[in-house]
Amino acid sequence: MQFKCNQTLPERAIHIALKGPGGTCQRGDGTNCFIASNVATTPGDMTERGCTYAGCRGVVGGPVKDAIQLTHGPIGCAFFSWGYRPHLAESDFHIKYTFVSDMNETNIVFGGEKKLLQSIIEANAEFPDAKAVFIYNTCSTALIGDDGRDVAKQAEAIIGKPVVFFECEGFRGVSQSMGHHVGNETIFRQLVGSVEPEGDFSRSINIIGDYNIKNDIRTFEYLFEALGLRIIARFTGNVSVDDLKIMHKAALNIVHCQRSATYIADMMKEKYSTPYINVTLWGIKNMAQALRDTAAFFGLEARAEEVIASEVARIQPHIDAYRQCLQGKRVFIYQGGPRVWHWIELLRELGMETETAATTFGHTDDYEKIFKQIADGALVIDNPNVPEIEEILTRRRPDLFISGNKERYVAYKLGVPFVNGHTYDTGPYAGFVGMVNFARDIDKALHAPVWNVLHQHARPAPADRRTAHGFEEVPG
Amino acid sequence: MRQVAFYGKGGIGKSTTQQNTAAALASMGYRLMVVGCDPKADCTRLLLRGMRQPSVLDTLRDVGPESVQLEKVVVQGYGGVKCVESGGPEPGVGCGGRGVITAIQTLETLGAYKDDLDYVFYDVLGDVVCGGFAMPIREGYAEEIYIVCSGEYMALFAANNICKGIKKFAERGYARLGGLVCNSRLVENEQALVDEFARRLNTKMIHFIPRSKDVQRAEINKKTVIDYDPDLPQAREYRELARKIDENDEFTIPTPITQEELEDLMREYGIVD
Repeated sequence: MQFKCNQTLPERAIHIALKGPGGTCQRGDGTNCFIASNVATTPGDMTERGCTYAGCRGVVGGPVKDAIQLTHGPIGCAFFSWGYRPHLAESDFHIKYTFVSDMNETNIVFGGEKKLLQSIIEANAEFPDAKAVFIYNTCSTALIGDDGRDVAKQAEAIIGKPVVFFECEGFRGVSQSMGHHVGNETIFRQLVGSVEPEGDFSRSINIIGDYNIKNDIRTFEYLFEALGLRIIARFTGNVSVDDLKIMHKAALNIVHCQRSATYIADMMKEKYSTPYINVTLWGIKNMAQALRDTAAFFGLEARAEEVIASEVARIQPHIDAYRQCLQGKRVFIYQGGPRVWHWIELLRELGMETETAATTFGHTDDYEKIFKQIADGALVIDNPNVPEIEEILTRRRPDLFISGNKERYVAYKLGVPFVNGHTYDTGPYAGFVGMVNFARDIDKALHAPVWNVLHQHARPAPADRRTAHGFEEVPG
Repeated sequence: MRQVAFYGKGGIGKSTTQQNTAAALASMGYRLMVVGCDPKADCTRLLLRGMRQPSVLDTLRDVGPESVQLEKVVVQGYGGVKCVESGGPEPGVGCGGRGVITAIQTLETLGAYKDDLDYVFYDVLGDVVCGGFAMPIREGYAEEIYIVCSGEYMALFAANNICKGIKKFAERGYARLGGLVCNSRLVENEQALVDEFARRLNTKMIHFIPRSKDVQRAEINKKTVIDYDPDLPQAREYRELARKIDENDEFTIPTPITQEELEDLMREYGIVD
């Protein structure tokens, strides 16, 4: 598919591909090379990417429920990274508060180390029950060379609890993906293995790479527990600092988000010889497979089959009912990374086919997993920009767009039913029971009465009345 | 109003030359403001006879941007010269370059650049290490630059580097090079060397200031030579430099040379049997 909006941006061609016959990659530049990803955005491209700070603060560090989340930088960095991801936790403190050293112009000139130290001490005095202080570095404080590591060390001696300094300056890397890596490495280096607990950990696991969006964890944690396994740590949804300290004791790591958290699984494998398996905890087939793979490691296969059978029996009537309504719908999924390939199978179980797939910061391995699962003729696009998304919605006319809140109103304006897969409309969507919620929200989106009221053919504006930007010209 | 910036290698005598030139122009009846752009805040010491004045950035930090008043940061020195120091962080912390930008912008907001000034001098530290220290030669500020140097290799090396910076800004249409000021370090064949070096840079050596113990004597007394004893021969030299700057109308875009060319030049002129 040639995008009209890319006539002035030929660099985008290598980020757009069709799955050709026999699984070939037919790339936009006319070659059969694999789709390009995880490279710097071309100037002029209206990317939706975030920054390294966003990936570290927002995704990996932020969900830790009993740490003070302190941004070392200007106040805007703290505000615009606060509360936009519902990584829920059992805590009165978590998400409710964010902290910032509030660097202003004179702080930048004279250095922010003293103010940072003061901020840590003050925040800890206000919230003495917090188990650690997480400090996130920003662009400005990195440029002036504030020695955050040293401040963290000083602060640790004063407040007597871990002070973890994340070197997640926004300008590092090409997207938020680098921030996930920094978050993994820093938590591993500073916290994991800092306590050696006594006890038997032979039947214990960590859930790596789940951030408990709208309580996702509640939909699958009990299943692993039903196998007789103990969950030590979740990395990092609804996790406490104390859990992170002992997570190296687990017998097996179960890696869910394989983009943002395989790093720590690899580091644990190397240092503690902890094996890990990759799983998908969305959809019937994948969730069952995750339980089977986990059970196989511990020799609990029979128990797993019992659990799966009872769960599937519980939800199958609902799924069957929803499939009646959803059968044959064509879907456009656009997510940050792995959810795209996590959901292709789930949607098939609901009778739907993904015909367009896009990620903001996926790497080659993510796109390989997408290509493996997606049907021939499907469009795959890396780091789509706003005009491209608009063009997909208007020209391919998917029946359903699963994306995040940024795209919600673009979809609505263009008359495309929308489900928020990023932070969920009403989650959780994981596990067996969560899939029923997902199906319900898709059904609600597709069959909202508003679509009967609106005149389908009036949208979008006819091409001859559009400006170069694609918007309708207002007469007069 | 002419806005003039002095650049040059650290320790070359930039501030001494700049302050003596300012004092000389003041003694000729001109109205000046000197803006020190060095975190050390030592660019107006001689004009103020050793008095430490509150710097713009210290004041900004202590009272906040809403409460900074021009009278707090502008102090009258010798001959009515208005003295300002940008100030900045201690070595090793913060961002001195951002400090220069903030200080100059603050001065502008406060209305320090009045029409009744004939000259504004910017005295900028050492090499142009980052964007902040190029602030004085950005659009709207100094359009005329003098580089203080000597016949020593490192001084010429620094001058050549500074020319690279000036060239970049000059191509955007702002600053021009007015010439090199040779502050003699008693290097052999110094005058001829710097003269030729200037020619290669597409500029001129505007004045050769001979080495004199009177400069140090005046400095120990916390004064410029002009202030200390206007009849000294060295005072005449500074007045001569001031006159040449005042009459200067040759402003060029410099043509920095390669390191090899500079080394060849040193061999050619610097060693005389």
